[in-house]
Amino acid sequence: MVLSPPFFLKNIKMAINVNTVYTTVLTVLNKEQRGYLTPDEFNKVGAQAQLEIFEDFFEQYNQYVRMPKTDVEFASRMDKMKDEFQIFEKNSAASAVTGNVYTLPTDLHRFGSAFYERAIGAPEIEIVSKREYHQQILSPLLQPSINNPIAIYQQNKLTVYPATSNPATADIGFNYIRKPLDPVWAYGVGNLGQYVWDGTPGFSLTPVIPSTGSVNFEISEMQQTELILKILQYAGVIIRDQAIIQAASSQLNQDTQNEKS
Amino acid sequence: MGLITETNAQYYSGQQVFTSLNAVVDPTFACTFNTSVVSAYNNLGVQTSSASNYTVYLDGIAQAENLSFISDSLNNIITLTGTYTAASVYVELKSNAVGANYGSYSYISLKDIVNNFIVGYVGIDKIIPRVKKSDVLFHAKRGLQEFSYDTLKSIKSQELTIPTSLSVPIPQDYVNYVRLSWIDDSGAQHIIYPVNNLTNSPYTLPLQDSQGIPTQNEFGGNNLAEQSLTEQRWNTANDSNISGSGANDNMYVFDYAWWKLNYGQRYGLEPQTSQSNGWFQLNERLGTFTFSSNLVDKLIVLEYISDGLAYDVDTKIPKLAEDAMYAHIAYSIIASRTNVQEFQVARFKKDRSAKLRNAKIRLSNIKLGEISQVMRGKSKWIKH
Repeated sequence: MVLSPPFFLKNIKMAINVNTVYTTVLTVLNKEQRGYLTPDEFNKVGAQAQLEIFEDFFEQYNQYVRMPKTDVEFASRMDKMKDEFQIFEKNSAASAVTGNVYTLPTDLHRFGSAFYERAIGAPEIEIVSKREYHQQILSPLLQPSINNPIAIYQQNKLTVYPATSNPATADIGFNYIRKPLDPVWAYGVGNLGQYVWDGTPGFSLTPVIPSTGSVNFEISEMQQTELILKILQYAGVIIRDQAIIQAASSQLNQDTQNEKS
Repeated sequence: MGLITETNAQYYSGQQVFTSLNAVVDPTFACTFNTSVVSAYNNLGVQTSSASNYTVYLDGIAQAENLSFISDSLNNIITLTGTYTAASVYVELKSNAVGANYGSYSYISLKDIVNNFIVGYVGIDKIIPRVKKSDVLFHAKRGLQEFSYDTLKSIKSQELTIPTSLSVPIPQDYVNYVRLSWIDDSGAQHIIYPVNNLTNSPYTLPLQDSQGIPTQNEFGGNNLAEQSLTEQRWNTANDSNISGSGANDNMYVFDYAWWKLNYGQRYGLEPQTSQSNGWFQLNERLGTFTFSSNLVDKLIVLEYISDGLAYDVDTKIPKLAEDAMYAHIAYSIIASRTNVQEFQVARFKKDRSAKLRNAKIRLSNIKLGEISQVMRGKSKWIKH
């Protein structure tokens, strides 16, 4: 299968090449004949490792927000963290609407904020609980208006006040974090039964497994070492090699301590 | 970018020019006036209010009001129904709408105050790291109410004629009166004073039996009189007896008839009541201002204060008090939070107080030149 240029160019500065990671992991595992990680196992473990690192961005970001900050270029941990997840930040309209109930975008992973796009300047919608909503509508000073809209967030839906006539999905804009795409190391089977990556120059084997082709890791290249170590940690469990788990774990702990000191 | 968003033509003439039309069906006009365009007709051509505040002109000809409606009130878009071809197209606001917009630059809207405050005062590394917008809005509105009473120039007025009932209803957005005055033939105003202790308007009028006990109806409630005797007597009283403005012949003062025993009994005048402008009082039972009988058929001006929140267009604040409003919101938020050190609260309190004082001085509109002129009238020598 010949991969189209957009596939290779996609997030080229930020993404980690799936083949680089897989071959590195195999190199470490194969050292001293410790075992083998199949592409299918790698894809599953890779997705899990990427998700772990991804979720950790927000925990770290939260910690950095509360720490003393620097305004020096390239030295701000908070800015670094924002760099890490900005690629997953999206703005989209609601995916469906019934009355004043707007369904969240389908790829929403972490809700950030919502905006009332029908009003001039698209003011931010204040998210309140049902209890707060009832308290607020009893206050004559705080009645929801197009300049000060409020919404109840329940069941992956926003019930927005004030309700508008002729509601449309574009009425509400969402700012959110989407989930990273699962990495896929796709391959064809060569003459000798070997797995050949579908991104190899001159690749023309069929069928490609899986048929959707390879997908790179979406997290940034800065996370490559941590990603490989995490995959090795899982690989150690799969191949039941305690030494691999311990080596990867100790390296990861060392990295975490350095980052937070 | 400057803060003025209207062109000179929009501000002074209330006109906005649009591109020419060439057989366009139901053309739309996105107006960028500060004023919201209002149509008297809906999209079905049915009249829903008294008059539109704009006119659409095609090649210099005004289009009938029932041909246009507001298709998007948030974005100020007018839709003209029908098919049109015209080289010259413009929308012109009517004179009252243009006039209402004059001077609007001296005000800032409450919405902008809230948004500016959140941008400038709230966030990471600021004194207020996080706040709910509704909290800011609450304190902003409360601040506007408080400022309206004694700081802002939010005095409203109504021109009324006193009917034979001698009472007029309290205005819908009334909070307190500033001054009532009657207008003479030359347009000069004469202040009408409150009755103070001269009379009163009782709040309830129970009917009593011969023992003085209030009587009850079949439902257990008190029987109440329709009219107050106090008010009746006041309405029919001769004001001259209080003010002392009667003619000599009627005052029994210079009449030497022997039975006029009160000769010499009137010792001077009470300045508080010695005036011929009349009196008013607030009748809480009926929700009216009532006036003394000498004011019947007189033209009066009722000046009063509101709280700035009665109508949407009210929710604007003079720019001279903008900083005081930010300080008020900041202080109110800090003061109502737990775990804020007292020195911080005190700092914001002082800040608010100083800025409010500044705003009062600015809005009291004291001009040195005008003071000098007044003092010249007092024969005072002012060095300047």
